[in-house]
Amino acid sequence: MLIITCVAFVGFAVNETEEGLILKEPVAVTSAGQSPGALQFTVVAKMIKLEYTFEKLLSVDSIDISQFKTLVLVVGASGKGLGAANIDIEAEILRVKSLAEAAKENGLKVVVCNLEGESRRGPSSDRIVTELAPFADAYFVKSDADQDGFFTALSEEAEVPMATFEKTVDLKDVLAKYFGK
Amino acid sequence: MKIKAIFFIVLLFTSAAFGSFLRPDIRPGYGVTDIGWLSDYFSPIRNTNMDTPVYFMDSGVEGPTFVLMGGTHAREISGTTAAIVFIENVIVTKGKVIVIPFSNLSAASIKDETGHAPHFIAIEGKSGPRFLVYGDRRTDPLDQGVPDPEIFKHAQSDFTLEDGAEARNLNRQYPGVADGNPTQQLAYAIIQLIDTENVDFNLDMHESGTPDSYIDSEGNERSGSSLAYTLVCHPDALEIGAVAIMEIEAYYGVSMKLEESNRAFRGLSHLEIRDATGSLSFLSETPNPGQDNWRDKYDVIDDPDYPLTHRVGLQLQIIKSLFSAYEMMIGETVEVENLPTYEEVMQNGIFSFLN
Repeated sequence: MLIITCVAFVGFAVNETEEGLILKEPVAVTSAGQSPGALQFTVVAKMIKLEYTFEKLLSVDSIDISQFKTLVLVVGASGKGLGAANIDIEAEILRVKSLAEAAKENGLKVVVCNLEGESRRGPSSDRIVTELAPFADAYFVKSDADQDGFFTALSEEAEVPMATFEKTVDLKDVLAKYFGK
Repeated sequence: MKIKAIFFIVLLFTSAAFGSFLRPDIRPGYGVTDIGWLSDYFSPIRNTNMDTPVYFMDSGVEGPTFVLMGGTHAREISGTTAAIVFIENVIVTKGKVIVIPFSNLSAASIKDETGHAPHFIAIEGKSGPRFLVYGDRRTDPLDQGVPDPEIFKHAQSDFTLEDGAEARNLNRQYPGVADGNPTQQLAYAIIQLIDTENVDFNLDMHESGTPDSYIDSEGNERSGSSLAYTLVCHPDALEIGAVAIMEIEAYYGVSMKLEESNRAFRGLSHLEIRDATGSLSFLSETPNPGQDNWRDKYDVIDDPDYPLTHRVGLQLQIIKSLFSAYEMMIGETVEVENLPTYEEVMQNGIFSFLN
């Protein structure tokens, strides 16, 4: 089996603050925009045996968010995904904002993640990120999604850490570091 | 409208004797254990231009069955070429692979109606000169035999498209109609093959425009194709697809986008084949500069950014990585020898793998 033994390159854009953030399990994972990035996140999470629950349409009505310690919102607007889920972008933003708000009220850490790089940059994806920015405790971002400094600016403005990674599989090193695996 | 219909019928009768005929140049390797016809699974298409050759590569060792399709859209030549490379090189050592290199042979029998690539492209294979076929996206109107409708409507749903010519697009007609028009019958025949052979998983290889942005006629910058470098998966196959594209990126540095079938958009292979037969379905897209309608000139073989070698190498690597990911998720897979990696294709050039 060939999977995935490559040497990871992981950069930490805000070295002085990232050491202060420790993330804990169990983790709630959901999509923000219904691209398959959230599912890719779970594939990586399995590699480091992260304890997580994944639902594409996780909502405050369907789950007690207080049972988790961390909420990961994997951002990526996909017309196909939204169509498959039979929802529009406005409903999707409402869902993930309510979830992030409930997470903060219950003491969870909120991570906003771009796992699919520049292919998930665009007006809809950027809007979701901007709407979620007030709730973010950290950003995990594939490097090519931040070529214009979009995520860097948000993390610096809010003084929260941002970890970047070159390849999707390298996210496992970011997770291992932040979750102490 | 009436005059147009009469003209079409007259044209049909007068030209039927000259209907497009094509038999693709495929030079099977030792891995091919049998050659049949799609009409073996649905006899009404026999002796029509909708019939197409099917290549069986059976290891004789129990294992999964995989169907590989090229040429659903006959101008998307990375798919037809990857299928030919597979037939001419690969030995299956576990399970069975069934290859349909020109899924819509009627579309391959005519020149691309929207572009200006030649119908037959001369290349140099291992045995000397041969040709790649650069066909059209849709069934030859003469083979379809009925005028395009004003609006395309999917037979099994209320899904419609404004372009009635999409009735001749194989990848809008799944799961097909047994007594429908020829393109519907073609889709039905492919479904019969996949169902009869108990196919576990399948890949339909396509090409899109390139991701290059461009300036339109009014001076506005436009984004390139968002489909390029995409693997579309049935919702049930998404995790396998996720693992496959992560492997391709990790080992070969090519980043692909993962997409899930949109249930609102009907008739496409990656959705309908799984729903109709249970076979896990995937569709790949590589970037073909010949499909950028903004380009005045292009070279579909030796484009500096998107050469055919890169595109076919990627299709072959997608097959290889799907085999690996299928094993990781399902527990066993199709095993093969002599399937070149992306790296090997890039080093040697794709034509060195054609007999």
